[in-house]
Amino acid sequence: MKRLGPFYTLAAGIVLAAGLGVASAQTAPRAGTPAAGRVPYARATTNVTAGPSAGPATAEPATPDPTVSAAPATADPTPRRANYAGVAKGNGGLVALAIRDGRAIAYFCDGRVESWLRGAAADGTVILNGKGSQITATLDGTRARGSLRVGKAKWRFTAPAARKPAGLYRAAGIVRGARLVGGWIVLADGRQVGLLDVGGTPAPAPTLTPGSPVTVDGTQVSPQPAENFLDQP
Amino acid sequence: MTAGQPETDHRTASAPYLLPLLAGGLVAVALGVYGRAHPPTGYAVGLAGFSGALAMKAWLTTGAFVLAVVQLLSALAMYGRLPGVTAPSWTGTLHRWSGRAAFLLSVPVAFHCLYALGARFDVPRVMVHSLLGTFFYGVFVAKMLSLPRRDLPGWTLPVLGGLAFSALAGLWLTSSLWFFVVIGVTL
Repeated sequence: MKRLGPFYTLAAGIVLAAGLGVASAQTAPRAGTPAAGRVPYARATTNVTAGPSAGPATAEPATPDPTVSAAPATADPTPRRANYAGVAKGNGGLVALAIRDGRAIAYFCDGRVESWLRGAAADGTVILNGKGSQITATLDGTRARGSLRVGKAKWRFTAPAARKPAGLYRAAGIVRGARLVGGWIVLADGRQVGLLDVGGTPAPAPTLTPGSPVTVDGTQVSPQPAENFLDQP
Repeated sequence: MTAGQPETDHRTASAPYLLPLLAGGLVAVALGVYGRAHPPTGYAVGLAGFSGALAMKAWLTTGAFVLAVVQLLSALAMYGRLPGVTAPSWTGTLHRWSGRAAFLLSVPVAFHCLYALGARFDVPRVMVHSLLGTFFYGVFVAKMLSLPRRDLPGWTLPVLGGLAFSALAGLWLTSSLWFFVVIGVTL
């Protein structure tokens, strides 16, 4: 027994790891769609080359991040298309940003409080404003990092690049005569948070399965990736 | 070296190290290659009851590190290096079982690291943590395979154990301490 003890120890570790592997493979979020729900942390998921319309072409010092430092010094480091979703530190609420060609829409939600923010993305940074809220963050191919102010509270956040079905979703419509705006943030690990605004009153949001409509008070609405709403007020 | 030294002596003298170290090295390299090569899933099963995967890992690692301190002290006692302490008869059992518990606590953590996140080298903290993690399991396997052997020099186990403890301490510093400082001491 004593001589075999170390082997039993190693075997127990291997069995435990194998069990975790099987359990993880079986319970992986949205296992039906192979590439879905995966965020390759180690790789840039967005194009970090400069977009033609993305900000002034002056040789601003690039954002001090190793993943984009290889870009030419004259290039704007702002990702042309990017989505980020992460957690507000010390708050538990989620933050998500969608960037398209120099414009950005963002959303903060902790299930009770929400805020939509909009603004411009240039020089690898975004400054977004909402009703009583503000986000300032630096962007690169792998994450958005910055701070979030909602009312008087302020949190830092780091949001990894998100790939569908993770990301930010928004629904707009009319439900029983009241204007409905719904927001959802879905993280790569399957966590999500959402809130409805029905005629100015917050209401709990149904769980979102990205790509499927949700039913609010008997009316079907279809949440869309938030970047589709960049052109709307 | 005298001419009388037979060749077989060399083999018996070097072979005992070779097997455990080779196995440990292979394990370390295999973990590193796996962590680098497979696409991170961003998701892995872990223990319930924590606010998130990072919190779970931070606390399990802290548990393993506390047990590793027990390891260090019980080993020092067994080797008679604690002044004024005579190792009680149960020290060996304590050492074995605290080591097992520490190892098993570390497995879900390492599993999440490798399966969900992968080995990364983009930030110094993450790079050091990735390298130490693979190194730790290599040393641990080498130590486990060395334990049943009776033909090894006396310093083998203390050296391997010391390396494993140092690696675990480094892992704790680059993960749990970072988590407690940056995110906060939350369950």
